[in-house]
Amino acid sequence: MKGFTILLAAALALPAGAQAQDSAAAEALLKKSGCMKCHSVSAKKEGPSFKETAAKYKGKPDAVAALSKHLTSNPKIKVDGKEELHDALKTKNEAEIKNVVAYILSR
Amino acid sequence: MGWWANLRQRCQTCSRVMLGAGLMLGTLAIAFVFMTAGAYGLAWTNTEQFCIGCHEMRDNVYAEFKGTIHDKNRSGVRAICSSCHVPHEPVALIIRKMQASWEVWGHVTGKIDTKEKFEKHRYEMAVKEWTRMKKNGSQECRNCHHFEAMEPEKQTEKARARHAKAQAGGTPCIDCHFGIAHKEPDGPGPQELKIAN
Repeated sequence: MKGFTILLAAALALPAGAQAQDSAAAEALLKKSGCMKCHSVSAKKEGPSFKETAAKYKGKPDAVAALSKHLTSNPKIKVDGKEELHDALKTKNEAEIKNVVAYILSR
Repeated sequence: MGWWANLRQRCQTCSRVMLGAGLMLGTLAIAFVFMTAGAYGLAWTNTEQFCIGCHEMRDNVYAEFKGTIHDKNRSGVRAICSSCHVPHEPVALIIRKMQASWEVWGHVTGKIDTKEKFEKHRYEMAVKEWTRMKKNGSQECRNCHHFEAMEPEKQTEKARARHAKAQAGGTPCIDCHFGIAHKEPDGPGPQELKIAN
């Protein structure tokens, strides 16, 4: 447990945009925030899969900033032709948000 | 009718009726024993203990299931392996149990006896189960979760809209609620599966 905590702390302390990440923590936060209700890692659901999102942002310099904004600012999205507000990650911790963004972009 | 004459000869004091009744009772008793043993055996193969008797299940899918909402929750009502993976209707249940004999063969031949082998076959196993759950309209989910009994007011606005659409379109639960008790395999999900009816 202690080792895991150190690993977690190390992963969260990484600079913005870093590829290294704590997958378990990212998956836990994604689940806690209800993301997996509409998204999946590789399968089609109401929302695009993380793989699709990663492909969409691939090579774009503003990928981290754009995805971070998308996951924290409740933007308007369209589901089945109807407009609704996208849920935000259930955290205010910058490092945790960056970890999730890095996780999604590296799928 | 040699056996009947033989029986009559051995029991000359018995009347024909008595003998017939005795034979019938004997047959019924044997049938009862077989049926009880069969029902007991079937029920036993539906227990959690039976399912995790093999390390393939215990160390992989069962370990993933532990701690999920269907394992542990505020009311203590659980859905064990067989609640979701074995039909509850008699005929469908027997058919599924017969298919499961092949899974015993897989165990004996060690098809998924290491983590690596399990991962290699995870997607195809998931697709098999998703296909089954799509074909029967996710009956095992709906044995407990009834659309008619849901209180939409207690659901989020998004869930309410999705459920209304699913109910109207006959969408099986598994189309959206997959990977909830086990690790999601890498590949296209249930919505992308083309199921021939």
